[in-house]
Amino acid sequence: MNKILAIAKKEFMDNWRNKWIIAISSIFLILTVITSYFSSGKWEDVNTTISGMMMWVVILISIISLMLGYATIVGECERGSLALLLSNPVSREEIIIGKFLGLGSVIATTLIAGFGIAGIVIGIKAEVNIIEYLSFIGASILFALTYIAVAIFFSSFLKRRSTAIGATIFIWFLFSIIWDMILMGLLIIKYGIKFFEKMEWMAPHWYYVAAIINPNEAFGIFVTTTIKMDRMQIIKFPSYYNPYVASMVLLLWIITSLSLAIYFFKKRDI
Amino acid sequence: MIQVNNLGKIYGNVIAVDKISFKVKKGETFALLGPNGAGKTTTIKAILGLINYEGEIKIDGIDARCKEVKKHIGYLPETVSFYDNLTALQNMHFFAELKGVEKEKCFSLLKEVGLGGDANRRVGGFSKGMLQRLNLAQCMLGSPKLLILDEPTSGLDALGAWEIRNKIKELKKKGITILLSSHILSEVQEVSDRVAILNRGKIIAIDSVENLSKKLDIQPKLKIKIMKMKENILDYVKKIEGVKNAKIVENFLEITCNEEAKANIINEIGKIVKIIDFKTIEPSLEEIFIRMVKKDE
Repeated sequence: MNKILAIAKKEFMDNWRNKWIIAISSIFLILTVITSYFSSGKWEDVNTTISGMMMWVVILISIISLMLGYATIVGECERGSLALLLSNPVSREEIIIGKFLGLGSVIATTLIAGFGIAGIVIGIKAEVNIIEYLSFIGASILFALTYIAVAIFFSSFLKRRSTAIGATIFIWFLFSIIWDMILMGLLIIKYGIKFFEKMEWMAPHWYYVAAIINPNEAFGIFVTTTIKMDRMQIIKFPSYYNPYVASMVLLLWIITSLSLAIYFFKKRDI
Repeated sequence: MIQVNNLGKIYGNVIAVDKISFKVKKGETFALLGPNGAGKTTTIKAILGLINYEGEIKIDGIDARCKEVKKHIGYLPETVSFYDNLTALQNMHFFAELKGVEKEKCFSLLKEVGLGGDANRRVGGFSKGMLQRLNLAQCMLGSPKLLILDEPTSGLDALGAWEIRNKIKELKKKGITILLSSHILSEVQEVSDRVAILNRGKIIAIDSVENLSKKLDIQPKLKIKIMKMKENILDYVKKIEGVKNAKIVENFLEITCNEEAKANIINEIGKIVKIIDFKTIEPSLEEIFIRMVKKDE
């Protein structure tokens, strides 16, 4: 356990020193404040703010998490520091878990700092439901951890830094754009475009199941089913679209990605 | 200390190491020699558990893959790379934590390698020489019983290389077992007790430099500078007991001879010509190495 913590601490210090934490925290702070005030010219309450910035939050957290994690193994391997690290009495599992916890604490710190300060600023001017806002920050952290785990998997599996960054870009496009397009395309093929003209339409279950597998969607479902958002009331969801299932999906992504990362890292020649 | 049995490693279609076996005794300085791609670094990586391999490697009787074994190993890699954003002391603390060594020892080790004044500087701004010193300090953490040095003076200037060589000799005196890989043959000859010559993944010779030169019948050479070279001097010299061969190279008389005959040869030559200067050239590892590799090919 001490070794895992030592690696996690090193990751945190490394990112703290290169000013990543301050830069990312500022991005989330500015995004939240701008959405809260500048979208309507007056301070909106936190729930409206979250609803307004959800798309940007999904995009930014996924990109930042992937960027934080994609080089963590492959980059160290190319630089030569991984050989030195592994010449010490530390197992490959401990390295993966330590790096996950370290990078996770980096992103968690940035989200807590960025959204936290923004929440305080908004709280002075408008209404803040603290429980709901904390759930949003918690879900954001879980969502970020998912992408960090995915990035660590690619970093352990792929042999070159350049291919690892290519793979993370692909995965970002897949979950941010392609996944939805494929599912919508399948719906159109099966039911035709007129299906979407109905105001209160419900898609078949396979669609909802396939949609929630996407971590972006799972995070969105967590937030929209936890926080009361006026504009979301018209959309109908199946009963299993709830925060528990959504967080289970994200946890499953984390566990699967880290397990695969450990498996491939153990097979890797340094 | 180290026991390697039938170690094999294949990368794709290339046999990097072909079922080699050797032992390194406690307190011994053992060198791995070979041309590029001979399998030196692969062997070191296998001993450190950095690669998957066939065969068996034991360190102090324990499987080398067992992470606890590494508590007693210090490793100095060829490519020096630390965490650039951290200071030298923070890097040392990190490795001390991994080895389970008290952090208090880190600063004294930095001082020992001459980095006491730079302990709180970021490693990103260090020169190659400073990094190699930091490397040496980190591999000394936890008073290791075994040191594995992969091209320890690679990329260093003359002074830096000299400092590292002195440090190796110092550690050798302390009785630490050292496994060394280097392409600088004079360096290996200076510090090692035994050498293993690798070529194309196989060990082609393994012994002390002295024994290897005996096996190959590589004799010491005498280089004698004389006042006035006589025409028939070569005929005279070749008749002296113990002389194997003699030739004139520039202004020197170059004689290949038995170790025991050197004094007598100088004495005999001194009877007919005036000797200005002389020196003995012992069999060099370079000669052994070249002969061995050529013989293998």
